[in-house]
Amino acid sequence: MAEEARLTAGGIELEAVRRGSGRPILVLHGFQTIDPQARFVDLLARHGEVIAPSGPGFGHSPRPKDFYTVYDLVRLYLEVLENLPGEKATLLGFSFGGWLAAEVAVAFSHRIDRLVLVDPLGIKVSDRETADILDIFNRSPDEVRRRSWHDPDRFAPDFNAMSDEALVVYARNREALCLYAWHPYMYNPQLPRWLTRIKAPTLVLWGESDRVVTPDYGRAYARLIPGSRLELIEGAGHHPEIEQPEAFVERVSRFLEE
Amino acid sequence: MQAWYHCENVYPFVPQEVLDRADSVRASLPNKHCDPKIAADLFQECLDEHLLCDDLGVNVVSIEHHSGINSLYGASPMILGILARQTKKVRILSLGTLITVRPDPVRVAEEYATADVISRGRLEIGFVKSGDSEMVSGNANPVGYVERFWEAIDLIQKTLTSHDGPFSWEGKHYTHRHVNIWPPVYQRPHPPMWAATGDPETSAELGRRGMVNALVLRGPEASKRAFDTYRDARREAGLPAPGTDRFAYAALCYVGDTDEQGLRIGGKTLWFLNTSLKQSPQMSKFLPGRMPPEVTAQNYRTQPQPGAQAMRRPADSLIGITAEQAIARGILCAGNPDTVYKQIMEIYDKVGGFGHFIFIGRSGFLDHQEAEKGIRLLAKEVLPRLPAATPTFPAEPARAAE
Repeated sequence: MAEEARLTAGGIELEAVRRGSGRPILVLHGFQTIDPQARFVDLLARHGEVIAPSGPGFGHSPRPKDFYTVYDLVRLYLEVLENLPGEKATLLGFSFGGWLAAEVAVAFSHRIDRLVLVDPLGIKVSDRETADILDIFNRSPDEVRRRSWHDPDRFAPDFNAMSDEALVVYARNREALCLYAWHPYMYNPQLPRWLTRIKAPTLVLWGESDRVVTPDYGRAYARLIPGSRLELIEGAGHHPEIEQPEAFVERVSRFLEE
Repeated sequence: MQAWYHCENVYPFVPQEVLDRADSVRASLPNKHCDPKIAADLFQECLDEHLLCDDLGVNVVSIEHHSGINSLYGASPMILGILARQTKKVRILSLGTLITVRPDPVRVAEEYATADVISRGRLEIGFVKSGDSEMVSGNANPVGYVERFWEAIDLIQKTLTSHDGPFSWEGKHYTHRHVNIWPPVYQRPHPPMWAATGDPETSAELGRRGMVNALVLRGPEASKRAFDTYRDARREAGLPAPGTDRFAYAALCYVGDTDEQGLRIGGKTLWFLNTSLKQSPQMSKFLPGRMPPEVTAQNYRTQPQPGAQAMRRPADSLIGITAEQAIARGILCAGNPDTVYKQIMEIYDKVGGFGHFIFIGRSGFLDHQEAEKGIRLLAKEVLPRLPAATPTFPAEPARAAE
């Protein structure tokens, strides 16, 4: 079984988690890169080959100086998708990566057999004085922690227990995220009008307790993608794959086998 | 030596319990805690202090900070406009419009050119990188702000020195297709340029550009390091050695009739360090972009590992120091005229000289009358004794190939 591997796209050698075999499942990470030890990775790898690159500037992936926009990330992942074997692949994106997955699906629908968006960001749904997406940079760390997790004491990262290297990756991920998504904050104002281009069957999964972006935002998202459906995962916040890995993978695998 | 009066126009009248409860006294403290009538009085007082400086031959500084008790000067260009018209003799330094949070450097250049013209060529333009809560209140991406800093300076300089019709700028961070400001600058080629910084990369670049390097509340050791870096960078670039006119040292400073009075009143300025620097962690140590992740990673630990060094902003180490400690560290000069003269000269010798002494002469609950008294004593009893600045000679024009 393939383990941590590297993957080249856009002339950049990306760190990647690869596991399992069978149908390719391209996974786009959220605020933080995919932990190869995370339980959902093994569970998901029973249903296909999980391919989870770290975006440039995230994890251990280098970021060229002239690579600094969401547009660059979308183009990069289009190339990753293009280079995968077979006609089509499954695309799954978490949070910020859900935004990127939606952008990739809008641009490249014909190469995607199934699309799974997990608590995705990327659109604006409320009025101009209501922020849809919690500002994880400007709000207090305690509030961000509380609103990110159903059970923060059990699942939020324990920084004191993390290794130096893991902490550097954590800080690096935040810096890269800030670079790409500071303004407009975590969304593309033009994305909603193009989501109708997504032709692949789409599952929108949402942690029921998510207060980074609420399930109502998820409902609005699902309404914009033709034929998609929203499912809630109980006992999970913004990261259902971490808080409820079994339920998460069960929902995904059922969808993939439909 | 040139003396520069620097007053941040602070707002110390928020009840202490409100400040204690707030996680930050900048960016997020509701402005209901600022009474505009009191603010109006403060503006009048501080501007009057600048006019007194004009009478006494002390130059003046206009600064800019956003959304907090540490300063009501949220728009440096407006203050510059007032100073440009109301002062008549002294030089006026903007230190400065926060170019890393402004979307359009051409507009900044236009404001500077206007102030230079109104003042008939008395403007000096200082740049600050800003950071932390000002990125938040300025809605500016903290990641990449150093790149923006230099591109903005380049664009402002080009704007100020272009006089033959529109030019186009299509840079990484700024685009402006039609740049042709009116009025042009009064001083040619452009007003003197400064930057306030202590980091070696920036000081080196200032050296190569010949800009004045100001160190604000950094103390003699850090200032010497910066000035040495500046000198080295010029030497390595084959440029003439700088005179002291390229170096500025800024400290809290109060001159009283006696040591006791100087220390007692000058000690009030420590409010700036002890009260007005409080910023929430998300707007300081957790805000990305200020320092590399390799350095900031340790900030996440609440129980630091043995031997690990958490990143501290230079300002962090100043919170809570006493007047005596501040004097020992060269952050505060306070006492009678003789004492303050000696303190300044001790710093002067430690750093290898500077041509500009920026004195923060009012902060916290130090009031208007006290501030004016301190300004008078400094101007009359201390400034005349300080050594003259030595000039920096321009680089010789390259000789034609023989």
